[in-house]
Amino acid sequence: MLTTYTIEGFENIQYQGFQALSKIERSLTRLYSRYGYHQVATPTFETYDNFVQNGAIPANELFKFISRKGQVLALKPDATLSVARMAAINHHDPNEIIKLFYQTNIYRHFSSPGDVKKEMTQMGVEFFGDNSPECDGEIIEMAIKSLKANGVADVQVDLGHVGFINYLLDELTMSQDERARLFELIENKNLGDIQEFLSTHQYDPKISKIILELPMLYGDPADVFARMTKLCVNQNMQEVVKHLSALYEHLKSVGLAQYVTFDLGFTSSMNYYTDLIFKVYAGNWGAPIIDGGRYNKLSQQFGIDRPACGFAVNLLSLMDYLEEHDLIHVENPPHAVLLYRAGDKARTFETANALRSQGNIAEVFTINSLPSAMIERLAGQRLYQDAEFYVFSHGEVLKWQDQDLVPADRILSIALEPEQE
Amino acid sequence: MTLQNDKIKMALAKGRVADKTIDRLKEIGYIFPDYSKESRKLIFTDTTGSLEFFLVKSPDVGTYVEKGAADIGIVGRDVLLEHPANVYELLNLKIGQCRMCVAGFKDTQIRYNQKLTVGTKYPHIAKHYFTQIDQPVDLITINGSVELGPILGLCDCIVDIVESGNTLRENGLVVLRSILDISSRLIVNHVSLKTKREQIDPIVEKFKELAF
Repeated sequence: MLTTYTIEGFENIQYQGFQALSKIERSLTRLYSRYGYHQVATPTFETYDNFVQNGAIPANELFKFISRKGQVLALKPDATLSVARMAAINHHDPNEIIKLFYQTNIYRHFSSPGDVKKEMTQMGVEFFGDNSPECDGEIIEMAIKSLKANGVADVQVDLGHVGFINYLLDELTMSQDERARLFELIENKNLGDIQEFLSTHQYDPKISKIILELPMLYGDPADVFARMTKLCVNQNMQEVVKHLSALYEHLKSVGLAQYVTFDLGFTSSMNYYTDLIFKVYAGNWGAPIIDGGRYNKLSQQFGIDRPACGFAVNLLSLMDYLEEHDLIHVENPPHAVLLYRAGDKARTFETANALRSQGNIAEVFTINSLPSAMIERLAGQRLYQDAEFYVFSHGEVLKWQDQDLVPADRILSIALEPEQE
Repeated sequence: MTLQNDKIKMALAKGRVADKTIDRLKEIGYIFPDYSKESRKLIFTDTTGSLEFFLVKSPDVGTYVEKGAADIGIVGRDVLLEHPANVYELLNLKIGQCRMCVAGFKDTQIRYNQKLTVGTKYPHIAKHYFTQIDQPVDLITINGSVELGPILGLCDCIVDIVESGNTLRENGLVVLRSILDISSRLIVNHVSLKTKREQIDPIVEKFKELAF
C-alpha cells in the first residue's frame, strides 16, 4: 500500500507545485531585497528551552529530540525567535538598524480533529532597531505588497494591538486559564458566550461592560478610535490609541489606508508580541495568509534590548489561494526530446546544447528499439505531454508529427543546416 | 473592491436547524418563495434579492464560511467543536437548544480508576471531556443510533446530544453526566464581517433581537 509512506500532516510538493512555489519565492525575494532586507537562514533545530522558557509555544506542540550531549532540541516551531537570537549574536549595538528576511520550514505538532499541516513553509521579514509608527508602516506595506506582487487583487489587513485587551484585563484578578478562555471568546467574537462567561464570574461590572464592547471594536478607523478613547480605563490604554492613530495617519499619507481595518478584538497565540499585531487576508479566505506584529521584549531574552517588528507569509497557503483562483501562470520553455542512433551522437549532443543555450529544454535518449514505439511510449507519459520529438538517424533529422516521422528542417527555434556529404 | 451590491450568502445545516432558521428568517422579513421542504433546489434567493441561502451537511457549514464560499452560516455548537473552523462565532441564536451528555444504564459508574468504553458520534468532544476529568476511556466512533451501543454491550456508555431525553428513555438509558449546552450559532467569515459590514450588520441585528 502506497499510503504507508504518507505521514499525516506532511506532504510532498509535486513538480507543478514546486514551480509555483519558487515563482512566489522569487517575487518575494525581489520585493524584500528592494526594501533593503538581507536574506538569512537559521538552523533547523532550536534548543527546547528557548521556546518553553518564555512560554511562546506549548511544549506539546514541539517535535523534540535529544542530542548526543543530552541536550533537548526541537524542530524550529517558529522563525521569529531564531532570527531575533541571530540578530542578537551578530549585532551588539541595540540601536543598530537590522533588516532581515528568511525562507524556512517550521514544524508544529498541532492537535486538532481535522487535517492540519505540521510542516509549514514560511517567508518573512524582521525589522530590528526601530520603534516608530513608520517602521510598523513599512512592515504593513511590505505585507500588502507580498500578496499584491503575486496577483492577489483583494487584500484585507486587520490591525490590532495586544496591549489594549491586556491592559484592560490587568484591572481584574483572573487566572491565566480564565484569561486564555476569555481571549478565545473575544477572538471568535462570541458575544453570547462572553456574556455567559462574565455572568458566572464576579468581575467589576464596569470592566465587564467594556469587555463586551471589545469584539465589536472594529471597522472604520475614525469611528474605532473614538470608541476606543471612551473605553480607556488607564494610561496604558490611552497610549495604545495614540500609537494606532499615528500608524493610521502614516498609512493614510502613503496611500495604504484603504487596505486596513482596525480590530481590537483579537490577540495572538504567539505571546512575544507586545504592541501592534496584524493579519492579512486574501480575497474571502477566512484563514489569514500573513501574520505579524511588534515584539519589543523578545530580544531581551538574548541580552539585547531592541525593538522589532515583522511578519511571516504562509507560502503553502498563499500557493493554495493562487492555484484556486487561477493566478499562477508558470511558463515552461519549449521542450524537445532528441532520439539518436550511435552514429549521430556527436551531432545530437551538439544540437541539444545549442537548444539549451537558447533557453529551451532539451533531452537526449539513445535509440534502443523502434523509434516510433519509443516516442509513443514517452509521449504518453505525464512529464512529456508538452514535448516535441525528433529522431537523428543515419544523418537525417526526422520530426514526430501526426503519429508519423517526417523530415524536419528546424528543431524548435533552431534551423537545421542540411547535412554535408 | 466594491462588494456593496453583492448578495449575502448563507450556509445552513440541513435538518432541524434549517427549518427553524427559515421560520426565523420569515419573521425578520426575508421571504423565500421557492423554498419548500420537498424542493430539490440547492440555492434559494429571497424576494429582495439581498440574501441567498443554501443547504449543506452540518460539518461543512464551517468550511464554507471559513473559505468564503458563504459569508454567514448557521450551525450547532456541537458541530463547531467537533469540526473547528476559522470563523467568528458571532451569535448564540438559542435555537436547537440541547445538551451534550454522557448517557448509559442507570447503574453505570464513571470511576476514575476504571477504564470506560465510550461510543459516540463526537470523538473529539468526548476525548476532550474525559481528558479534563482524568477518566481513562476507549473511544469507539459510531455514526448513528448510538443508543444501541450500551444495549448490545458494545460500550459502557455513550456521548451524544440529548434534547428531550425521549430516545434515551425508550431505550432504558439515562443521562449520567452533562458535558455542555448546545445551541445554534451564527457564524461569519473573517473578511466578510469587515468588507460587507453594511449588509451583514442588519441581518445580525435582526437575529440578535430574536435571540435575546
